[in-house]
Amino acid sequence: MQNLNNHTRTGLLLKIGRQWALLFLFIELIFFSFMARGFLSLNVFQIIFFFGTAVFLLGTAELFAIITGGIDLSVGYVMGLATIVSAKLIVAFTKTGMGPGLSITLGILLTLVIGLLPGYVNGMLISKLNVPPFIATFSMLGISHGVSELLIAEKAAKNLPQLANTIGNGYFLYYSKGIGFSFFSRPEVARRVKVVEILPNVVVIAFILIAVFAFILNRTKFGQHTYAIGGNRDAAIRSGINLNRHIIKVYMLASFLATIAGVLYTLKYVTGKADAGASSLLDSIAAVVIGGASLYGGKGTVWRTILGGLIIAVLETGLRIMGIPTFDKYIIVGIILITAVLVDQFFPERTYKE
Amino acid sequence: MNSSLALSIERSKTLRVVAKNWAFFFLLFFLILFSITGRGFLSVMNFQNIVHLSVIAILMASAETFVIITSGIDLSIGFVMGLSSVTAGKIIQILYNSGNHSAGFSIFIGISIALVLSLIPGIISGIMIAKYKVPPFIATLGMWGITNGIALKISNGFPVAELPDSLTKIGNGYTLYYKPGGGFSFFGLPEGVGNEHIRDYIRLIPNSFLFLAIVLFILYFLLKKTKFGQHTYAIGGNEDAAIRSGINVKKHLIIIYTLSSFIAGIAGIFNIFQTGIGNFTPFGAMYELFAVAAVVIGGASLMGGKGGILASVVGVLLIAVLENGLLISGVEPFYRFIAVGLLLILAIVIDELFPDLF
Repeated sequence: MQNLNNHTRTGLLLKIGRQWALLFLFIELIFFSFMARGFLSLNVFQIIFFFGTAVFLLGTAELFAIITGGIDLSVGYVMGLATIVSAKLIVAFTKTGMGPGLSITLGILLTLVIGLLPGYVNGMLISKLNVPPFIATFSMLGISHGVSELLIAEKAAKNLPQLANTIGNGYFLYYSKGIGFSFFSRPEVARRVKVVEILPNVVVIAFILIAVFAFILNRTKFGQHTYAIGGNRDAAIRSGINLNRHIIKVYMLASFLATIAGVLYTLKYVTGKADAGASSLLDSIAAVVIGGASLYGGKGTVWRTILGGLIIAVLETGLRIMGIPTFDKYIIVGIILITAVLVDQFFPERTYKE
Repeated sequence: MNSSLALSIERSKTLRVVAKNWAFFFLLFFLILFSITGRGFLSVMNFQNIVHLSVIAILMASAETFVIITSGIDLSIGFVMGLSSVTAGKIIQILYNSGNHSAGFSIFIGISIALVLSLIPGIISGIMIAKYKVPPFIATLGMWGITNGIALKISNGFPVAELPDSLTKIGNGYTLYYKPGGGFSFFGLPEGVGNEHIRDYIRLIPNSFLFLAIVLFILYFLLKKTKFGQHTYAIGGNEDAAIRSGINVKKHLIIIYTLSSFIAGIAGIFNIFQTGIGNFTPFGAMYELFAVAAVVIGGASLMGGKGGILASVVGVLLIAVLENGLLISGVEPFYRFIAVGLLLILAIVIDELFPDLF
């Protein structure tokens, strides 16, 4: 009875506490709407998502590893490796005389296959050789960094087909008065006529993929097993889950998602860069932890991770519009990260698979 | 039959010694290998260079050793170093360029303030970890962002320059200058001898060695010979048992993270002495991760309870010698990252193969 009363009394506070990340995002949005001129516009919101794709994808990659109780330090540099490999492959295919469309498709597909490799090695080391995830993925960070620097030192990838730029910086939908909607390509209009650009292509691609992985985590046996392993490893083994195989798959999946982030980077910036994801260690893990996952495993969802990523992306864009140097971003993200864990400890009853 | 049994035990004994100290033997192996493949590798000058350039890495690894023994991790040390270097640089710059203070005074004040400030990140992460049960990874990753941001803010994104020359004179100087057949002098060329004659002199024991040796000795003594060190191992071995045996684990952990942060602060001071400017830490440097790698290569376990200062130093030197040797042998420097990765995996695999040894 006493307990029940206590529960209802603190019910509201608890609810707010559980949703603090969402609340924080709203506060952020309101703050920047007043403080940053021109923040509240369709364009700025699209920019937030456009630059946020890397954090969303790397965060989702990290989430899978973290739910199993592991960590993947290599996602940032696997992303860098993917930018270089895809750029080089596309250039190489174009040189053989293939059309731009075909060479981009082939280059990306091949990169995605290659991108499974670092994850496979990570998974093997972690599951078969019992290497702690921190060490195994740090080794992979070093190896993918080294390999990408070697690839780029030979010759930087230049002269990607124009089509890559069109895809990477294009929009899904264009609207202009008089002509109406047109998909994918900018309508031919006179100079003065305003064309409204809606939904950047890379954002659409990223979110379709993220939705697929959210589905995998929430609605499939694979996802269930992932939570089970993180929740209680022994119980998972006893219930007949093939632990080693599952761990390998999870790390392959993480590295696959990082590769997608890399490919999208190549399309956006039309080049490859070894340290494309170097500063993402903080961002990707912060997104996951702000999203309520625990480093001890068993907790966390994709959408909350995206929420965490959004908090970081809004912060970055908002500060930039206000003209504050991005240095402050690191400080604020660091503080939010620690706060996230502290808040979680004050409201411990959260369950994420509701 | 008896003799063959004895032989196999004896053989496994040598095997055990090799396996337990594999990092050390690996180091010896690389030293011999590079002496053959790399011209100019085998020289006093080159060895002094290797250690001189790994002074910061050695300090970082020592800081990480304490933390890892308690089964924690400190990801912030790389940026705490940058913060300390930039703070000291800024203060020295302001005091020295105001014209009212001598170089020595400004340097002394700058260093003192930077060292005191470098305690703060450690105290905060320590309290987070010990009192509020924030996982060390998260607490120090948060501090990673915060210290990095503050260092960049102080330096405005540029290295702090226009500092007195005496910094590099001390930081890159040698303890002993010796001319074969001529005289020798301490801490500088003999009076009246110009810098153009420096090549005639054999320079021995960089000043950074001397300072590093002092710091390392203190840390070694602290970890191996004091109650504080014993408790550190006890907490890493079994935290519950440590609590039950009356160790104030919370206080101890706060001290450990403060110490780690302080050592990173000292590394920042070494940095400013060696380069003559206040440097913030670039993103790609990953000092903290290389420090963890060195500590693990040295034989520590991330689960805690194992490891030592000297073992970590061997771990750093193994990476440094590999890097230097590859460079002198004409191999692309980027293989460094790959080599460290492979070494790390090897360290763990050996650990797995001989689990009872450690």
